[in-house]
Amino acid sequence: MTKKPKEIVGQVFLNIFFIVLCFITLVPILYALSVSFSNQNGLLSSDFSFIPKDFTFANYKEVLFGEDIMTWFGNTILLAVATVGLSLTVAVPAAYCFSRRRFPGRKAIIKCLILLNSFPAILSMFAIYRLLRPLGLINNRLGLIIVYVGTMSVFSLWNTKGYFDTIPTALEESAQIDGANTFQIVIKIVLPLARPSIIVTALMVLIYVWNEYIYATTFMTGEKTYTLAAGLNSLQATEMQGSWPVFAAASIVVSLPVLIIFFLCQKYMTSGLTAGGVKG
Amino acid sequence: MKKKTKITLKSYLWSSPSLLLIGLIVVFPIFYTAYISMTNMNVYHWFDYTVIGFDNYFKALFMFDSGFLSALLATIIWTLVNMILQLVIAYVLATLLNNPKLKLRRFYKTLLMFPWAMPGYVSILLWKTGMFNTEFGLLNQLMTKLGLATYHWLSNDLSAFICCTIVNLWLALPFMIMIIDGAMQSIDKSYYEVAKLEGANWIQRAYYVTVPTIKPIIAPAVIITIFTTFKQFDVVYLLTQQAGSKTGSGFHTILTFAYENAFIASNYGYSSAISIIIFILLIVFSATFKLKEEGDR
Repeated sequence: MTKKPKEIVGQVFLNIFFIVLCFITLVPILYALSVSFSNQNGLLSSDFSFIPKDFTFANYKEVLFGEDIMTWFGNTILLAVATVGLSLTVAVPAAYCFSRRRFPGRKAIIKCLILLNSFPAILSMFAIYRLLRPLGLINNRLGLIIVYVGTMSVFSLWNTKGYFDTIPTALEESAQIDGANTFQIVIKIVLPLARPSIIVTALMVLIYVWNEYIYATTFMTGEKTYTLAAGLNSLQATEMQGSWPVFAAASIVVSLPVLIIFFLCQKYMTSGLTAGGVKG
Repeated sequence: MKKKTKITLKSYLWSSPSLLLIGLIVVFPIFYTAYISMTNMNVYHWFDYTVIGFDNYFKALFMFDSGFLSALLATIIWTLVNMILQLVIAYVLATLLNNPKLKLRRFYKTLLMFPWAMPGYVSILLWKTGMFNTEFGLLNQLMTKLGLATYHWLSNDLSAFICCTIVNLWLALPFMIMIIDGAMQSIDKSYYEVAKLEGANWIQRAYYVTVPTIKPIIAPAVIITIFTTFKQFDVVYLLTQQAGSKTGSGFHTILTFAYENAFIASNYGYSSAISIIIFILLIVFSATFKLKEEGDR
């Protein structure tokens, strides 16, 4: 009983510590949020507060109704849907074969893939440029889709294969006895069971496309073909140019979908990120 | 015998789209880069480049003023500093989060996850403008308020290194806290009770119970993080080295150094040689980790 006051003090301190910590952590985001609602002129005055001065929606209006950003948004959605769709279409049959079939070269290929995948994607850029240019795939959405699917394909293959390995084969065997062919087995039995890994793979590919800016700016020239990431990059406010409030508003708009997806699927995230390269 | 051939053929057929894409986007660039690394391709020799053997490798590894070795050293220091800070801070925060008296832990955890959930490049650009910028940056507004002169945070090597480290920690800590927190929750509480009965204080409990128990659980995530830290590009590039708005800092990780040599200096032969050296380093690292992991089993 004598311990109680000390415990309460400890608890209060712990909570204060975490409140301060959370606040400090969120400062860059809160500041951007506050600026995004501020009138341009209000910013130059030096008293700063986290409550926007001269509250306005003008920056969001400019972001949402300015033509460019909507074009970039459309480009990103198109790229993301195509990349995710293609990634899964390509990865699932391959993952199924590598998980269920035994054939010569299987183990060697798996080992090589993991090894070769450690080559940082950014260092491949020059070679890929030289490969795609003669094919007319530079400044072409299809080119960028191929690059994205290819870059993520080792991850997609590995992640889905790893999960397929954990599904018992008994169901598939009995379906086979009942006369189902492989295609039916994959669609009707394996895929529904593998839903968590399919979701994680799709999300990872989606977030990758959403966040990728280096290939998007190097391979696509001209503002009309930019993705959101590339466009945001060009909107950056520097000392010389650009509007910081508009940039802040655009940042918030671009981040929102990712934030929503992240917090909806949080329970899958940790496993999805670690499962990839580990189970060697 | 015939059935086996059929299975092999079918498997390769169904895997071919995936393997073909991997071949084009992952495998081809490595071989092409290896080839270019043996040539003198650069801005003066775009089409008429010739094979010059291992000169580029020699330049990278034995000529100190070519910059690669100092970038490599900086990258190793960068990885060490970041990993140590990350593990220590994440461990302390996860311990505090696991305090049974903390009722709001879920709430705090959700807030602390934000830096991980935000798109990385957006966060980095927000830090660059919102925090470090000389005009609108919070840090400089604070300096002005305190009556100090504004400071170009990203313009010299050391302060750029510190700023990059802060941003990298901000981005990476949530994942590490999550991993360590998850591992701590899997520890059987009775271990602590026994340790307490034996009279162990909290340092001893951490040293003899917590750390050895969570070590194998967090090892894969830590190894992955070591690699991503070593291969860090976005933080350093976006904060200090962006084409057209360089801040004047000379701090490079090996990846930004390779990028700079290829796309800014157009020195493709040399940059390719660096890429291959980085690749070999990464393979050697992962082989070492793997051997160690198998040895531990």
